[in-house]
Amino acid sequence: MTAPAAAPPPEAGSAKPASRKSVEPQPSVADGPPRIAARVLRRVWASYAFRRILQSVFVVWLVSTITFLLMHFMPGDPIEIMAGRLNSAGMSHEQAMATASNIVNYDPDAGVWTQYLGFLKGLVTLDLGNSLTNPSKSVLDHVMEYLPWTLFAVGAGVVLATVVGLSIGMAMAYRRGSAFDHVMTSIGSFLTGVPNYILIAAVVVIGFTVLGVLPFLDMRGRVSAGVEPGFNLVFFGDALFHAFLPIIAFAFTATGSFMLNMKAATTEVLTEDYVTVAQARGLKPGRISRGYVGRNAMLPIIPQVALQMGTLVGGSIVIEQILDYPGAGQMLMQAIGNRDYPVVQAAVIVLATSVVIASLIVDLVLVKIDPRIKNQDQEA
Amino acid sequence: MTDPILRVRDLSIAYRTGRKESVTAVSGVDLDLYEGQSLALVGESGCGKTTLGLGLLRLLPGLGEITSGSLAYRLKDGSTADLLQMRKEQLRRFRWNEAAMVFQGAMNAFNPVIKIWEHFADTLRDHADGKKWTKAAVEARAGELLETVRLDPDRVLQSYPHELSGGMKQRALIALAIALDPQVLVLDEPTTALDLLTQRSIVQQLHELRKRFGFTMVFITHDLGLAAELADRVATMYAGRIIETGSARDIFHGPKHPYTAGLINAVMPVKGDRPALESIPGYPPSLKAMPDGCAFNPRCAFATDECRRDRIELDLLTERPLGMTHAAACLHHDQVRFARKEAANV
Repeated sequence: MTAPAAAPPPEAGSAKPASRKSVEPQPSVADGPPRIAARVLRRVWASYAFRRILQSVFVVWLVSTITFLLMHFMPGDPIEIMAGRLNSAGMSHEQAMATASNIVNYDPDAGVWTQYLGFLKGLVTLDLGNSLTNPSKSVLDHVMEYLPWTLFAVGAGVVLATVVGLSIGMAMAYRRGSAFDHVMTSIGSFLTGVPNYILIAAVVVIGFTVLGVLPFLDMRGRVSAGVEPGFNLVFFGDALFHAFLPIIAFAFTATGSFMLNMKAATTEVLTEDYVTVAQARGLKPGRISRGYVGRNAMLPIIPQVALQMGTLVGGSIVIEQILDYPGAGQMLMQAIGNRDYPVVQAAVIVLATSVVIASLIVDLVLVKIDPRIKNQDQEA
Repeated sequence: MTDPILRVRDLSIAYRTGRKESVTAVSGVDLDLYEGQSLALVGESGCGKTTLGLGLLRLLPGLGEITSGSLAYRLKDGSTADLLQMRKEQLRRFRWNEAAMVFQGAMNAFNPVIKIWEHFADTLRDHADGKKWTKAAVEARAGELLETVRLDPDRVLQSYPHELSGGMKQRALIALAIALDPQVLVLDEPTTALDLLTQRSIVQQLHELRKRFGFTMVFITHDLGLAAELADRVATMYAGRIIETGSARDIFHGPKHPYTAGLINAVMPVKGDRPALESIPGYPPSLKAMPDGCAFNPRCAFATDECRRDRIELDLLTERPLGMTHAAACLHHDQVRFARKEAANV
């Protein structure tokens, strides 16, 4: 129907393809080692992955520094609090101060810069001091005891939300305007709009208190008494049973937003020429919906997966309180309550780092799925 | 072979515009296409050319619908089948294997996230009929096809669509269109949005392909130059109807519908003196508000009261074999001369 105006197209008939693998000059015989090194450096710099990793390191540094500054300028010096505690336990003031600063790995009398450099050194060597409430334990060990449980629940929740949200979203786009679409749009908006801690609280109240079908009391904690951690089905099954409610809670919000966004993305892709052409080519419907529609519609959703990870890890503080799930969020709450600064500091840094790593992985995966990103990046 | 390869009867296509409203984009089209012929569908933007082209493969977008008629194809196995009676799977097997389409703006015809060779692999595998297409076999076949359109297989096969220029994509799409050796090829504005040099070489390749494989072709174009060059039959469309049809020779040397004459007069001749170009006054009618009688009457210098009242049917002018018969839907066809002044009078 449409006959475009005869606009002169920009490129000539047999233009070179837009992408070029390498831009460096060809190696010549006269190249010495420094030149080769320079070329290797340039190639590493040109690699998208390398720059993306560098960016992540920068973000982790930024988060750590902000955490350090917050801790530093917060009222109430942790050393004095701890020394005060030791003091009241019968230690002399000087001795208490020395012991405390030794435990926390922090010299209260040094200048900000010295403290900051010491902090950075600790960060690089993964030595973030010891817990104040449990001085014999390193902060990192403490955090790593709680963190995997949260990452497991959040990770499983996001995976669940991605699978369910993307499939429903796609089905909605294929049946635009149907009853299914209308019902799912309402459910999606509801899930996105209502905070997940309220939804999960409602699930517990209805399932446990009203109907009595949800064994909420048994589901608290990480594993049931008597189950030993190990690589066996009993342990995994039990861990999943205990993580079930947190996983559902984490999945709620993400599912709603993935559903709605996937519907929008799929609707748009369905109008693309290459989908019509694929139909004209007589491709099987399954291949078109997976390889042509789904794969392209997913592209704008994938970055949102990383975004959701960050939001959910932050939200774990409330969810884990409500569901009594001893993960990093609960640990953080306790540490804040106990004014256990080193633990708080380490927890914030480790949580931020895990989100940064998740989004790094997502970005690297995206490059693999969408070949155009690499080119855009090189052009920029 | 006296049976046409494609017989279209009374084909009408409408687009839904509301809950109970629709506009008719193509109405009552009859068409016989014989093996090896190449037909140019010409007309202004919005006259229904592309809709008709898509309709020939039952590829209408969501709101489009074939409201009446029949589309009988003679298949490769010699049997005849009505496209409108086919079930989904039958239709899928028909497409690209019996009739393929080269789309307007090949820019977006390829899936941006897979390589060119994978497009060939998908097409060949989904029409495999039990044959196993290994990567090597696909690349060999695709390479062969790309070479017939003068593309370097080594470079193109492993490229992503965005790594090719517009001209290369258009050629690659033509190569993909002939992958299953279809009998009918529908080409929708195959050279629009390409520069002149690329247009030239694409036209040449289409010529060669036709000579070599004997495809039956339908060109949809607003470029009369292209129609004159590639087509041996021309059908002019206006407001969803075919208003003149005939051999390219008859049409270009003696158009009998004032609209066709106007279209020809609006093109600069390559040879001879260069008269001032005549444009057709006014605009095509909106599909929602069609004038009574002949749809062209508000823009026509010959229009009389009859033209404004009655639906004008195609009037047989010169009978010729194999669908080449010259016919025009105009009451005053004997007054239409190939004279610029008369045809495009205000």
